[in-house]
Amino acid sequence: MGETGQVTFAMQTFERIHPVEFQRRFLSQSTRHTGREFMQFRSLQVIKGAISTAQGSATVRLGNTTVVCGIKAEVCEPDVKTPSSGYLTTNIELSPMCSARFRPGAPSDEAQVASEHIHRLSAHLLDLTHLCIEKGRAAWSLSADIVCLKHDGNVLDAAVIALVAALEDLRLPRAEFDSATGMVSAERTMGHVEVQRRLFPATFTLVDDVYVVADADDAEEQMAAASLLVVMDADGKLANIWKRGAGVMSKENIELCVQAAGVRMAEIAKALQ
Amino acid sequence: MSRPDRREASQLRALNCSLGQLNRADGSAQFSAGNTSVVSGIYGPVEAKVYEEKLDRAVVEVKFRPDIGAPTTKDKWMESAIRNTFEREILAHLHPRTLVQIVVQLREGDGSVDSAAINATSLALVDAGIPLKCMVTAATCAVLSDDTTVVDPTQEEIDAARSTHTFAFASGSPTGPLYVDSRGEFTMDEYNHCYDLCALATERVLAFMRTAIEGKVTKEAKISAA
Repeated sequence: MGETGQVTFAMQTFERIHPVEFQRRFLSQSTRHTGREFMQFRSLQVIKGAISTAQGSATVRLGNTTVVCGIKAEVCEPDVKTPSSGYLTTNIELSPMCSARFRPGAPSDEAQVASEHIHRLSAHLLDLTHLCIEKGRAAWSLSADIVCLKHDGNVLDAAVIALVAALEDLRLPRAEFDSATGMVSAERTMGHVEVQRRLFPATFTLVDDVYVVADADDAEEQMAAASLLVVMDADGKLANIWKRGAGVMSKENIELCVQAAGVRMAEIAKALQ
Repeated sequence: MSRPDRREASQLRALNCSLGQLNRADGSAQFSAGNTSVVSGIYGPVEAKVYEEKLDRAVVEVKFRPDIGAPTTKDKWMESAIRNTFEREILAHLHPRTLVQIVVQLREGDGSVDSAAINATSLALVDAGIPLKCMVTAATCAVLSDDTTVVDPTQEEIDAARSTHTFAFASGSPTGPLYVDSRGEFTMDEYNHCYDLCALATERVLAFMRTAIEGKVTKEAKISAA
């Protein structure tokens, strides 16, 4: 007890017992509990090729959020409908390892929705005809597994960046199809697969129904009313605008977010180098 | 460029809806635009399971069933889109510790399925008498390869489109969209153009839905008076 009869806590105690009020005190002063500005993203670090057993891999750290993407390549028969295309399948795993929010067992709804959304985004990342080995007989099937190691908010951004980085790191052996035996033989020489459309994601979160902040961390995501994912490509064109959550974001706010995403693009491009 | 079904660029497909077709549900509606057809059933407010109930409000649960096969992650995605759209529009605090279950069954998907599902659910919620802040209506636009923008595209048009845009709006609150999903390759100008077109299209859908509800209510009033 203080002299005025007010209860006083250490800052950490206040954060624990009144998490929403704690955040509000910062937001109402136009700042954030980590000291960032509203439209400031966390620092981004991309490490390509960390996993030697995968054909392509990348580790992405976005502040304290860490995701790893590994791409495994297998040879399989192409789909009858698209005989000269290979496959790219994506999956994101949010296990109990990354946050106490997730339970072991079947993937949570959140993970399934994120997986599906990344799958939709990945549609034009590669020109799938480059994965063809022999038309109608053999093609590369790439499976990109994105695993979240530390969940401190905005996993979707980190996952998309990791996927793009891992695809850029991807090396496939030059493969030959032998029509006599029906076998595919791989050579020692490795080749790149060109990334057709690089994607640059940026997420903005409507916190407490009032404040729009970029790249929310876990504490801010807990009180999010809505979040807006803006994905741009290297030409500065938009690839996706997707609003999640029930809160209403005004048209003007969405336009501001798209502008900020354009600025963010340069930062991501730099980190991907 | 003319459209495969000879519609004008800003013309919706023939809309059709009927309320209260399912007799075991608390409310239901079928909504179709051309060949795309969706049935939505509402069960609620019903007792919530102990682990999911919320002390101060009703829980909103959405199940989306595809027309063919078992549900996949695609359908999970759709469930989350529908839940996000309606979570705030349902006055959940009026029914604390209960569950409102929305079951959406796709009958036939020929493009613009997400907007049809939102429209059907909106009608079904009204039919079930669940208290709502307002009606929600959705519309889809597509920008084709020749830069023309068409409203309410069919699957054929979506497959050939450069980008597709779906927006949902709450009636009488023009502050912003409740639901946004824009995909493909597009510029901000195209996005804004589609936003305006969808906003206009949802007004027409809303007027249609109002007529349908009025028709049903008048019919019921006549029956109860007789």
